[in-house]
Amino acid sequence: MSTESIRVLLAQAFPDAVEIGVEDRTGGGDHFQVTVTSPSFDGLPLIEQHRLVNAALAARLADGTIHELRIRTKGTG
Amino acid sequence: MTIREQIQEIIDREPVALFMKGTPDRVMCGNSDRALRALWAAGAPVTGVDILPDPLIREELSALSGWPTIPQVFIKGELIGGADICEELYSSGELQQKLDEALGTEREQMVKTAAVQA
Repeated sequence: MSTESIRVLLAQAFPDAVEIGVEDRTGGGDHFQVTVTSPSFDGLPLIEQHRLVNAALAARLADGTIHELRIRTKGTG
Repeated sequence: MTIREQIQEIIDREPVALFMKGTPDRVMCGNSDRALRALWAAGAPVTGVDILPDPLIREELSALSGWPTIPQVFIKGELIGGADICEELYSSGELQQKLDEALGTEREQMVKTAAVQA
């Protein structure tokens, strides 16, 4: 899976994001580090922020396309 | 007991449950290791639960928690998150604070293993 297709999924889930970063950590297309900065996270506990990111990529996590996902979220508030 | 009942019982019973790949003395995944290290550094007692013996363990755990990835950390029955959250909360001091609130500041620190029978 390409970093670009992950970026597209995240952009759909967080249309108001001010930053979306996707890094393929191993070059193998299945270990990713994603960074999302969005007002959607404002005021939410970290676990709920991560739940939103997991939900955006749920299908790819469930079918094993994404083997490892590291998440960094930031609000804008 | 079903696998799900066993998982629930561990979550309810253990002060800090770490569902991981491998066991604390034989960690089989970098992310499980990151979570374990953050917990230990924060002064947590840790009960490691290996999810590798049977794919059903992970399946049932994720169905129960609504969290798709491994590791998963529970403090007093509450899902805290995975390795990234543990590290972030440790860096900010919130992990220690959470542990202090849930388990008291005089908590005994130890590492043990619990098993789910598949």
